[in-house]
Amino acid sequence: MEKKLGIYICACGGNISDYVDIEKVKDAIKDEDCVILAKTTMFACGDSNQKDMDADIKANDLSGIVVASCSPKLHLTTFRGVSERAGLNKYNYVHANIREQASWAHSDNKTGATEKAILLVKAAIAKARLAEPLVPFKIKSQRSVAVIGAGVAGLKAAIALSRMNDEVFLIERESKIGGKLHDLDTISPEQISGKELLSRLEEDLKKEKNIILLTNSEVVGNSGNIGDFTLTLKISGSKGETTKEIKVGSVLVATGFNSYIPADGEFGFNQIANVITLPQFRDILRNADSKKFVLNGKEINSVAYIYCVGSRQVKGENKYCSRYCCTAAVQASLDLKKKYPDIQNYHFTKGVRTYGKQELIYKESNRVGDIYIQFLDKKPPIVTELDGAISIKAGDLLSEKKEIEALADLVVLVTGMVPDKDPSVGSLFKLPKGRDKFFNEIHMKLRPVETVIDGITIAGTCQGPKNVMESVNSALSAAAKSHSFVSKGELELEPIVAYADKSSCNWCNACSDACPFNAISKIEAEGKEVASINKSTCKGCGMCLPVCPTDSIELISFTNKEMESMIDVLAQ
Amino acid sequence: MQKEPINLSFDALVIGGGIAGGEAALNLANNGYKVILIEKRLSLGGKMIMLSKVFPTLDCSACITTPKVSEISRHPNITIFTESDLTSIEKTGEKNFIAKVTRRPRYVIAEDCTACQLCEQACPVIVKDQFQYNLVGRKAVYIPFSIASPKVAAIDIENCSLCGACEKVCPPGCIDFTQEPREYIIHAQTAIVATGFRLYDPTNVPRYSYGEARNVITSMQMERLLAPTRPFHTILRSSDGKVPDKIAYVLCAGSRDDSMGNPICSQICCMYSIKQAQLLMGALPMADITLYYIDIRAFGKGYDEFYEQAVGMGVRFVKGKVGRITEKENGNLTLRYEDIATGKLKESEHDLVVLSVGVKPNSEPADIFTSHKLELDSLKFVKQSDPLLSPAKTTIEGVFVAGTATGPKDIPDSILSAGAASSEAISYLNQ
Repeated sequence: MEKKLGIYICACGGNISDYVDIEKVKDAIKDEDCVILAKTTMFACGDSNQKDMDADIKANDLSGIVVASCSPKLHLTTFRGVSERAGLNKYNYVHANIREQASWAHSDNKTGATEKAILLVKAAIAKARLAEPLVPFKIKSQRSVAVIGAGVAGLKAAIALSRMNDEVFLIERESKIGGKLHDLDTISPEQISGKELLSRLEEDLKKEKNIILLTNSEVVGNSGNIGDFTLTLKISGSKGETTKEIKVGSVLVATGFNSYIPADGEFGFNQIANVITLPQFRDILRNADSKKFVLNGKEINSVAYIYCVGSRQVKGENKYCSRYCCTAAVQASLDLKKKYPDIQNYHFTKGVRTYGKQELIYKESNRVGDIYIQFLDKKPPIVTELDGAISIKAGDLLSEKKEIEALADLVVLVTGMVPDKDPSVGSLFKLPKGRDKFFNEIHMKLRPVETVIDGITIAGTCQGPKNVMESVNSALSAAAKSHSFVSKGELELEPIVAYADKSSCNWCNACSDACPFNAISKIEAEGKEVASINKSTCKGCGMCLPVCPTDSIELISFTNKEMESMIDVLAQ
Repeated sequence: MQKEPINLSFDALVIGGGIAGGEAALNLANNGYKVILIEKRLSLGGKMIMLSKVFPTLDCSACITTPKVSEISRHPNITIFTESDLTSIEKTGEKNFIAKVTRRPRYVIAEDCTACQLCEQACPVIVKDQFQYNLVGRKAVYIPFSIASPKVAAIDIENCSLCGACEKVCPPGCIDFTQEPREYIIHAQTAIVATGFRLYDPTNVPRYSYGEARNVITSMQMERLLAPTRPFHTILRSSDGKVPDKIAYVLCAGSRDDSMGNPICSQICCMYSIKQAQLLMGALPMADITLYYIDIRAFGKGYDEFYEQAVGMGVRFVKGKVGRITEKENGNLTLRYEDIATGKLKESEHDLVVLSVGVKPNSEPADIFTSHKLELDSLKFVKQSDPLLSPAKTTIEGVFVAGTATGPKDIPDSILSAGAASSEAISYLNQ
C-alpha cells in the first residue's frame, strides 16, 4: 500500500524562517510522491502544533510524517511522542534538520539555504516512503545503581538512592570516604567545615540498609547496557587484590576534580619559598599556631592572593572559570584575618566573582580592610623575591591601570579546578568530554545529568566546577534520574540496531574491531564462523557497516535501500 | 453558586508552574506519583517561556520550554490548575497537607476554545499587555501569548466593558460571563515550593529615569523585543520607533547596592546582558553596544568563553557603575559614570538604555503556610534549613523548595535544584 505522508516545516520563530524561505520549501515538496499534506508552522514543537499534527494524522489516516525543524537531538522524542499519541508507529516519523544544517550553517546565503533545505526535506520524504514500523525491545532492569566516587556528591547520591529503595554499590578508590570534604575548612556562606559535613554524612550512611560501601575499590571492567550493566571491581585489601563482579541497572559517576597544580616558576611556585597554593594554605592555616603565623621561619604579616591560577588562562589551555575559587579565597582570607587580626591581605584578581549571596562575604572582606587589585591580562602579576619578602607587581585596572607593587610575606595562588587526573572511569564508560575536559551532559537545560551513554549519569564536579551546594543539587538530580532508569523493573530499548547476514558473512574481525561498544562476537552458524550482534548492547552507531568487506551488515531504519534513496535525491 | 468546595487528593502538590516547578512535577510524575501543579497566572512556563534565547548555547528559549510545558500538560499523572490562587496550606501530620485553592474564572469555557482569536479582533478595549512587559497593548479578551499553555482565551474582567462583542463572534460559543471562582480542597502528602523570583523594580532608583525617559527599558523588555514571538519583529525604541544604533546596558541595576535595597549579586544579569548584546549584534549589525559593569560574573560552564566571544565580536565593556541617566530632547540618553580604567567621571550618549535588572525575592509563600512556619532568610528568600547537604529542605518537614525561591539562579541551576527537590520529595514519600 502506498504511504500517505504529512510534512511539517518549522519556522523556529525566525531561527529557520529568517534565512530559509519555508513557504518556498513547502511549495517545492507538496507534490512529491506520497505527500498528501504539507504545512508550515511557527513552532513545530509547540503545544498547538502538536495538537494539529495529532488531528492531521487521525483525519488523513497518515502512515508517515516528516518534521523539518531543528536538530533531532533536541526534539526527536517530542515528535515520536506526537506520533505515538496519534496512533502512528513512531519509527514512521522521519526528521530533517533544516536549522543547524541549513539556516544556521548558511545564514550568509538565503537562496542557497533554501535550496539545501528543499533537498534535505525531499531526502527525508524518500526515507519516510521506505520507513517500516518498528517495535522497541523490552528488557528487565536491575533495581540497583553503582555510584562511583564517595565525595560529597557520591555520598549524597547514594543516600538519596537508598532512600528511594534502590540497592546501591558505593565505590571509592581511596581507603576513606569524603573526598575533598577533608580539605574544606570553612564553607561559605554557611560557615560550616567539611569535616562537620562529613561526620553528618557518615551518620546518615550508617542508617541506610541499601548501601554496600566498597572502599579501596576501582572499576576496571564494564559490559552490558542500561538496565543490566556488569561491572568488574578491583579491590585492594590486606591480603592483596581481589576482583568482584556486580550487576547494576544504572551507573552514577561522581569522580570529582583535582586542584590545579601550578607549573614550576608559575608566579614563583616551587622557586620562591612561601609561594603556595590555596589548598596548601588551608592546610597550613588549620594547623598554625594560634598566636603567631610563622611559615618557613618567617613570621607572616601580609599575604597576597593571586586569583585565576589555572583558570581563565590567556595563554594556557584552561579557558574556563572555576567558579568556586573567588569565594573560597575570600573566605580563607577572612579566616586568616579572624585568627590573626593584624595581617594585611592583598587580593590580585581578574574581577571578583562572588555571585549571588556569596557577595556578602566579599562585602565583609572590604569592610575588614582587605585591599583588592584587579590585574590586566596584558600585565599579569610578576612575583619576585625582594629583601626577604616577596614583591608582587601588576597593572591595576582599579588605579587608572598604574603599576602597583605589594610586598607580602606569603603568596597564595588561588588555584582552580581541573578534571580528575585518573582517566580510567571516563574511558571505561566512553563518556564524552567538553572543551574544558570535564564530562559532558547531553543538554545543559533539558538533560543536565545524563550522558550520551544510556543509563550513565554524572554528578558533582566531574561535570564542571561547582561549590558544595551545587554539587549536592546535581547529585540529587542525578540520583532521581538513575532511579527512574531502574525503578520500573523494565526498560524499552531502541530497535535501531545492526544485524549481520549469516549467509554472506565470513568472519574477518573487522566489524568487531570497529565496534565501540563490544556488541559483536563470533559464533558458529551454518557450519562456519560468523558475526553476531547483541541487540541490547548495539547502539546503532553504524561503525561496523562500512568496514564489512562482504556488505553483510544492515542497520535497521538506515538500510542501504533507505540511504541510497536519500542520496539519489540529494544528488539530483 | 458553588455550595461545597471540591476535594481532590494527590501525592505531591507543586506550587508554581515555571521551569523549576514544571521540572519537579515531571520528575515526580515520571516516577509514578500523582501531582497537582498550581500556577497563579494564565499560562505555565514562568519567566523562561518569555525569554528570547538562552546563554551560553543560544538555543531559543521557546524551543526548550514549549516541549517541556507540552509534556507537563499532557502527562497523565499531572493535574494543572492555572489562574489559581493557593490561599492556605495546613500540615495536619507527617505526609498530610491540606491546601485551599481558588480557581479564578477565565469567563471562557477552556475545553471549547480553539484559540481562533476572533474574540480578540472583536473586543474594543485596549489595555497594556503585561505578558509583553507593557511594550504593546492587548485586548480585554485575549490569548496570553502565542506559545501560552493552555492556549485558551481569557477575559480580563477588570477592564472588560461587558459589551458582548466577543460573545457574538465566538464560533464555538465558549464565552461565559456567568463563571464564578471555584474552591478546592487539595490533599497531598508532600509539597514543593517553586514560586520563583520577582524582577527588581527600577522605579525604586529615580536617578535611572525608568518610567520617565521613554527610551530606558528593562532587560526583560529587551528579551521581548528579541524573542521569536516579539511584538514588533525588529528592535525599536519606544519614543519614536527609531531603530537604535547606540545601545547601553547598565548592569547591577538593583543588585550589589544597599542604596537600591539589594546587597547581593543577582547571578544572571551579566550573562543575560552579554547574551542580549550578542543577539543585538546579529539583529542590528551596525549598532554599537556598550556594557557598563562592576565585575563580569561569567562563572558557569562555558560562560567565560561566552563572555570572551562577546569581547571578540566587538561588544564594548566599560568598567564603571552608572550614576545617573538623563533624557535629552531628542529622546537620547546621557549616562554619567565613573570610568574606572581612567579614574575619570565621564558622560556618554546613547539612543537606547537597557537596565539589567536584578533578582528580588518573592516572599508570598511564607504567608500561605498556616500551621507551620515557612521561614525566610535575612534577604526574604525561602530559607534552606540545611543548605549544604539538603539544599531543597525548608523549615517544614515534607515541604521542599526548587528554583529561584531560595535565591538567584540561572536556568541550569534552577533545573538541578528542581531535580534535588523531587529526589527529596520521593525519599520523603518512601519513608
